[in-house]
Amino acid sequence: MSGYGDDGMPPEGAVDEEAADRLVEEELRQAAAVLDPVPDALRQLALEAYALHDLDARIAELTFDSLVDALPVRGVMDAPRMLTFRAEEVTVDVEVTEDGLIGQVLPPQSARIEVLGGPQTVRPVTVDTLGRFTSRTPPAGPFALRLRTGGAVIVTEWLRT
Amino acid sequence: MDRTEVGALVQSAVDGDAAAWKALVEGMSPLVWSVVRAHRLSEADGHEVYQTVWFRFAQHLGRIREPDKAGAWLASTARNECLKVLKAMARLTLTDDPRVLDRASDERTPEESLIASEEAADRAERLRRLWQELDGLGERCRQLLRVLVSSPPPSYVEVSAALGIAVGSIGPLRQRCLRRLRARMDARGAA
Repeated sequence: MSGYGDDGMPPEGAVDEEAADRLVEEELRQAAAVLDPVPDALRQLALEAYALHDLDARIAELTFDSLVDALPVRGVMDAPRMLTFRAEEVTVDVEVTEDGLIGQVLPPQSARIEVLGGPQTVRPVTVDTLGRFTSRTPPAGPFALRLRTGGAVIVTEWLRT
Repeated sequence: MDRTEVGALVQSAVDGDAAAWKALVEGMSPLVWSVVRAHRLSEADGHEVYQTVWFRFAQHLGRIREPDKAGAWLASTARNECLKVLKAMARLTLTDDPRVLDRASDERTPEESLIASEEAADRAERLRRLWQELDGLGERCRQLLRVLVSSPPPSYVEVSAALGIAVGSIGPLRQRCLRRLRARMDARGAA
């Protein structure tokens, strides 16, 4: 990064050039801080996100995302987003549509499920005894599902739709 | 941020120290934001990606394998989410023009007003022109410099994670881009 040669001796003129580079880089850094700072509201949300830190919950990792893993179907522009999360033996399939979420816990089992919409937003959803659930509210922004089943708490990886 | 410091802050945050979390947010928000901006997302998408990254970081906090590389973790998570947005957009029609968002807005931010005193006006004008010229540098340079100039300066490992480019290519590319930018500023000054 210094522009110096292996012998530690700068080539002729390189010092000035590198110094000028560094100067303009620092000016750009100031420009970024002044003209394109992190919006305050966002920084505040990141601060509040500390509440989402939960060592007792297991994380269900995203193992399938139709956006990334499925081939696009020609002519089908608004295919629902299909997601699969897995935490060891428990799998959660979720379909995100304009109308909300439809999902299934596998193996089929009853569970209590909530949709998290941020550090402050929690909305319970109805689950039948076979682990099928529906939420009539489409996620507005990032979301995660929190499942309580057989004494375990599982939270799906945060995702935006 | 210094990697050892980041690792220690992550550990403290895992142990329940809210001040450590705050320090992580303050220290690394600009890096995450720069990745979002480098990918030219729309305002709404950019905000959601930023949130997703921090929510996921909080969620994974105690499970991050190399806490001292948390900056690279954040940067690569941000990059992946940005790429997903772009992929989803490519499948739909492009409606809004994300470029608009990269322009310096006409309204002054509070930070700007602070330096808007008369003697600082020239200085502010130069920064504004530099920022505009950044847009004309070509996509690779614009992306690299946008991430490179976040505060505090990111490590090359973080830049690599943010943009998916090899660490070894960052130095030479940085030099080429900065010189191109300087040349554009010189040309502008001469005009």
